[in-house]
Amino acid sequence: MLFNSFHFLFFFLIVTSLYFTISHKWRWILLLASSCYFYMAFVPIYILILGITIVIDYFAGICIENAKGKQRKVFLIVSLIANISVLCIFKYFNFLNDNFSFLMHGFGLSNPIPYLSILLPIGLSFHTFQAMSYTIEVYRGNQKAEKHFGVYSLYVMFYPQLVAGPIERPQNLLHQFREKHNFEYFRIVEGLKLILWGFFKKLVVADRLALYVNAVYNNAEHHSGFSFFVATVFFAFQIYCDFSAYSDIAIGVAKVMGFHLMTNFNRPYFARNVAEFWKRWHISLSTWFKDYLYISLGGNKVSIPKWYFNLFLVFFISGLWHGANWTYIIWGALNGFYLIFANISSPAREKFNAFIGLNNIPVLSRCVQIIVTFMLICFAWIFFRANNVDDAFIIIKKISTLNGPLFIENPSKMIYCLVSIGLLFIIEYKREYYKGNVSFFNSKNWIIRNISYASLVIIILLFGVFDGGQFIYFQF
Amino acid sequence: MILDKLIFTLRKSNFWFFITKLCLFFLLVFILDFSIGNTLRYFYFKQESGLQYQATYAIEKTKEDLLIFGSSRACNHYMPTIFEEKLGLSSYNVGRYGSPVLYHLAVLKGVLKRYTPKIIILDLNLQEFEKIDDSYDVLSSLLPYYKTHPEMRSIILMRGKYERLKLLSNIYPFNSELLTIAIGNTEINKRRHDDVKGFIALRDNWKFPIKNYSFPQNYALDSKKINAYKTFINACKKQKIKLLIVCSPYLSKNRFKDSSIEIGKQIAKKENISFLDYSNYIPLINPNLYHDNPHLNVEGARMFSNLVADEVLKDR
Repeated sequence: MLFNSFHFLFFFLIVTSLYFTISHKWRWILLLASSCYFYMAFVPIYILILGITIVIDYFAGICIENAKGKQRKVFLIVSLIANISVLCIFKYFNFLNDNFSFLMHGFGLSNPIPYLSILLPIGLSFHTFQAMSYTIEVYRGNQKAEKHFGVYSLYVMFYPQLVAGPIERPQNLLHQFREKHNFEYFRIVEGLKLILWGFFKKLVVADRLALYVNAVYNNAEHHSGFSFFVATVFFAFQIYCDFSAYSDIAIGVAKVMGFHLMTNFNRPYFARNVAEFWKRWHISLSTWFKDYLYISLGGNKVSIPKWYFNLFLVFFISGLWHGANWTYIIWGALNGFYLIFANISSPAREKFNAFIGLNNIPVLSRCVQIIVTFMLICFAWIFFRANNVDDAFIIIKKISTLNGPLFIENPSKMIYCLVSIGLLFIIEYKREYYKGNVSFFNSKNWIIRNISYASLVIIILLFGVFDGGQFIYFQF
Repeated sequence: MILDKLIFTLRKSNFWFFITKLCLFFLLVFILDFSIGNTLRYFYFKQESGLQYQATYAIEKTKEDLLIFGSSRACNHYMPTIFEEKLGLSSYNVGRYGSPVLYHLAVLKGVLKRYTPKIIILDLNLQEFEKIDDSYDVLSSLLPYYKTHPEMRSIILMRGKYERLKLLSNIYPFNSELLTIAIGNTEINKRRHDDVKGFIALRDNWKFPIKNYSFPQNYALDSKKINAYKTFINACKKQKIKLLIVCSPYLSKNRFKDSSIEIGKQIAKKENISFLDYSNYIPLINPNLYHDNPHLNVEGARMFSNLVADEVLKDR
């Protein structure tokens, strides 16, 4: 079920109304049943896969807590292998097989392993990582094993964040299922406002830009370097608005029912370097990798070469997490390379900035840093968006010349794209740098505040793309 | 005083306070939607040139004897002036870029509600009946006519399960059309002459070698589109309109057979309707007559229109 559908709208209204009507002790059943329905609206049979991993992780958690010594580790490993195996089979099997075939072909041999004709379950990487964080936290002693099977299932399946995050930690979410949430006016209104912002970002910005980006990127041979440059910048905003919109709607929906989910985006394109970008982008995944992989590898408390290796490995795996395609792996590796290069070149860059006097003009220095970071991130997005590695290199080659005319199918649609980015920039800029100042949306005057939000609805009706597709991150 | 008391009482009950505020918010949205939507409606129908005006003209104002239906290939291939000269019948090209057979049927319904043309030419494309979701998105150009044209509603509602609900909004039919409507009402637009009786001329020549025209061979067929095609034929037959179905030429080296065209021919044959297939017509395979692979330029359009007009004459 897509958030940007009437199906979801009715579902949300019914579930939320029932949630506040029934007694607290039955609410977990309602939420679990509705989450199952939500998930089964995509491909019903895949709930079985989710069910199997839930059962394994539920018992693994209890066993880890009850066991002592090395046994604890054994149970953790069993749970991790089960989760990773599901990911490998459904997400990576055909990719690995494809690459194996390529290798075999190089030696003049044929690959005897058949391809699996399976669809990737929606949001598999998200709920697998959330399930893994539970057993790891129980192993580390930061979380008690959940004895209530229904509540544990709900932790993995809670519908607002089931298919595209934020990837929650058990310490933050599990206890909330036991707390009673009353009908609180201000909390509900805050949740609804977040949902509305989400729809604005998705329908007015992301899906509008997608029309241009898809037209250009899906015909790599036929478009000019200039068109690709514009399409890449548009894609940067498209993917941000698409994914952060999903997060906003998920957080908003949960908030209406009284649940607090973690922030997933913090205006990432205002980051002054790539490291800061990753502290602002997909925060729930970045912190997941930091907490469970980077620190486990030794983080930065090791020799410098090992530290760089750790950084590169984490981003390499992060790329692989996104999709079974070399484009995602290169995208991840490229981000890892950026961070390593930033560390190596830091003293030289400092000296250069001091030499040209950039440090004396903080505003200019900040602008340059933001723009350079944005361009680096955009460059990496080329691999993320391109249909394959060959296309990505064709696009980079074309962009390097910036030759040719700009593809404009319809001038008014291009104007909508630019206006939507402009609107987003103004809103984000104000939130980043002028937090306490006057705002129409947070005005103390009820009429101004409501007219502002009503105008947002009107903007969605006027400029929103209602025939747009699903959220990009669903495929992961 | 009474209002203060009411607000105080409502505030005490979180739920009713929320419901009241929500209702007020929706009232505000309704007022804005109603006023902006109706303003857009007024200016949409006030246009005197451009694509939207052409659609309105086709549906609400045509009175010509001969009408040409189809997508961009109809707009670019059939010159009504040539049909007028040769047949002595007033003609108009009601084709629209990117439109599927469902759109043509909707326009035909709008036309037949007002009058009965003598001759109709329907231009069919390769892959006309292919199952593509986009074909239904394209029907958005008919949304402004939903309120005033009940005969078109069943086709407009094919856009989606919740279309009826979306159409409760007055703004929604004009979604993404604000700038086009604004430009359509300017003096500059009135001075532009993109079309001559609905015909849009493409002026440049194809400068590249002739290639094989590539298109998928085994594609899924859309039964709704096939039904719309049948309904189109039946509606013409019922009104005793002379119908001619044409597949206009493509610039291609290869000779091809397309499932949609074959189905189109079979249905036409069964209904005793003339079907002219120029998709593989060798005399017209000349780069100087084309703008790109599927579109003739103005020279090509002139030759082709003469050809079709002669066929109509033969048949009269």
